[in-house]
Amino acid sequence: MLQLSAAIAGLVTGGAYALMGLSTLLTYRLVSVVNFAQAAVGAFGAFAMVILYEEGWPLVLAVPAGMIVGAALHCGLGAIMVRWFAESSEGVKAAVTIAVYTGLVAVGLRLFGAQHPHRFPSPFDDPAFTLGGVVVTWTAIVTMVLAVVFAAAPAFLLRRTKIGLLLRAQAERPTTAELIGVRVPRLSMIVWGVAGAASSLAIMIIAPQLASDFGSQAALITPALAAVLIGAFRSFPVTLLGGLALGVLQGLASTWQAVQQFRGVLPFVVILVVLVWTRRGDRWDEPA
Amino acid sequence: MSRALVKIGGIVGAAVIATSLVAGCGSSGDTIKIGAIAGLTGNFITEEVVKTAGRVFDDVNDAGGIGGKKIEYIVKDDAGNPQRTAQVARELADDGVVAMAGSGSFTDCDVNDAFYRQQKISSVMAVGASPKCYQSPNIAPVNVGPFTLITAELLFASETLGNQKVCNFTVVLPGSEQAVNDAIGQWEKISGKKLVVNDTTVQQSGDLTPYLLKAKQAGCDAVLFNPGEQLVVPFLKAAQTQGMSDVDFLLLAPAYTESVAKAVGGLGLKVYAGSEFEPFTAASDANKGWKDAVTRAGAQPTAFSQGGYLAARFVVDVLKSIKGDITRESVNEALRSMQPISNPMVGTPFIFGPGERHAPNQASKMVELKDSAWVPLGDFITVPTSS
Repeated sequence: MLQLSAAIAGLVTGGAYALMGLSTLLTYRLVSVVNFAQAAVGAFGAFAMVILYEEGWPLVLAVPAGMIVGAALHCGLGAIMVRWFAESSEGVKAAVTIAVYTGLVAVGLRLFGAQHPHRFPSPFDDPAFTLGGVVVTWTAIVTMVLAVVFAAAPAFLLRRTKIGLLLRAQAERPTTAELIGVRVPRLSMIVWGVAGAASSLAIMIIAPQLASDFGSQAALITPALAAVLIGAFRSFPVTLLGGLALGVLQGLASTWQAVQQFRGVLPFVVILVVLVWTRRGDRWDEPA
Repeated sequence: MSRALVKIGGIVGAAVIATSLVAGCGSSGDTIKIGAIAGLTGNFITEEVVKTAGRVFDDVNDAGGIGGKKIEYIVKDDAGNPQRTAQVARELADDGVVAMAGSGSFTDCDVNDAFYRQQKISSVMAVGASPKCYQSPNIAPVNVGPFTLITAELLFASETLGNQKVCNFTVVLPGSEQAVNDAIGQWEKISGKKLVVNDTTVQQSGDLTPYLLKAKQAGCDAVLFNPGEQLVVPFLKAAQTQGMSDVDFLLLAPAYTESVAKAVGGLGLKVYAGSEFEPFTAASDANKGWKDAVTRAGAQPTAFSQGGYLAARFVVDVLKSIKGDITRESVNEALRSMQPISNPMVGTPFIFGPGERHAPNQASKMVELKDSAWVPLGDFITVPTSS
């Protein structure tokens, strides 16, 4: 019984992981960058929103403003990528984002204070229903719906629309796409902006239920990347499921005596297992 | 040739003597250097601690100093980073500090204990957070500390509130598991009770609801939870969502802040916290001196800043008792042979003394959250010492 409730409670965190994972996958699929700074950018947008909210702005204005901050910051990172690292390998690009991540965390801690965390508004805090002894809030439902939208929209966009076709072309062969007349830099910037705004929105929604300091929010990138890895850096729906599964697994782990103290490292274990599993062919299928 | 050498030698010699005289007058001669390590940037900000301590020293200087000498308070920022903590301790030692007073760094004890022993530097800490702070011959924190506070709060739950099913959920920092278990063992010995749930595996990441579900299922009527603000707020919010309004939540001193009161005051939960000192939100006579100092220092009034104030006050008293030169040796001697100093802000008198370990503060008051404000409750709860 406790296991069931813990698993249900874990779905909320799982939704959060999925949201961040899907934003990260969006950036990867559309501009070929494994962005370690994705959650930090989102946290920047979310904290900008909180500060405006505390200044007395209504939520309907503060939320878009925060998303704009996230978008602008992500565009800045995108500009660096497009200008100087467009032809670099994925490894180099990822390394650049790790450097940016470290810098953003340092600046974020300084700007938004570490000691006294800001109070995130949680307009969807009311209980929606009770399931398996767990009171589920509207936040959980909103997170879940948003995660499904995050998973479905890019998949639809890429597969069914003309702009999706251009985006795919640009992601796979940027130079070729540019040669045949796709305006690659401009399109990239739009993608960077949208992904930044989406991450900010994701963090805004999940911040009230997790440790609400800048460092913890930026660290959401680890479970997010684990989720993306489960989706093999390709599939939006599988990333969604991966994120949810990771949350449920962490919930379950807290009830299981033997593993509960390793709850925090579960994303790393998942990353490891997925890597070994996906790479098994490389080794085992080689002729002896 | 030889004459020229003698001449040069004479000039060089005179120059050396002159510079050493000037240097001697400029540094150790005029001022009493006292050091402190605090987090002014980074993850753990303890700026208010050293600001308040600095105000106390400034007041002493304004009144003429100690034996005509001014106190020079040198505060170094370690940014919550262990490498920096080690580095700044060495800088302070090179600067010639006679002692440390009012440090508020969470890595200081673990990183610098051995260095302080080697350099024979004594530290009267404002905020001790790790077990090492209470197990060193060279360090004596003025605060109760998280471990004795656990025992005191469990006693409050079982004896004062009369809770039957007391549960513990703690985030254990590396190296402090033994101290947490000892604190719980101490409570078991005194109260003759056992914890219903003792979960020391709480993680700082992810949703905290599963732990609350566990407490709910075990029927806990009191839940002890140790982290600071950033985790306490989502924890209590989740508790409210899960309808745990009949449970007594006991928080440690890091959660006793105005922002926690504001954030969770309206949730309708029963929340208590340990204050370590006379509660800083109490408008009592005991707090008058500190309140005055912290206000004039322009620092945020917190329990930590009380620690800074007390550490500075105690060190000043000890310095005043020294006859003759104030050096590292004479300060160490004075600390080890000092008489206990009572202050209404603490429940047990402060003493450094000759012991191999120092935990002079063994008493805490409790505060209760009422209408988004912390309200002091009752008298000091003193943990009977057995060791």
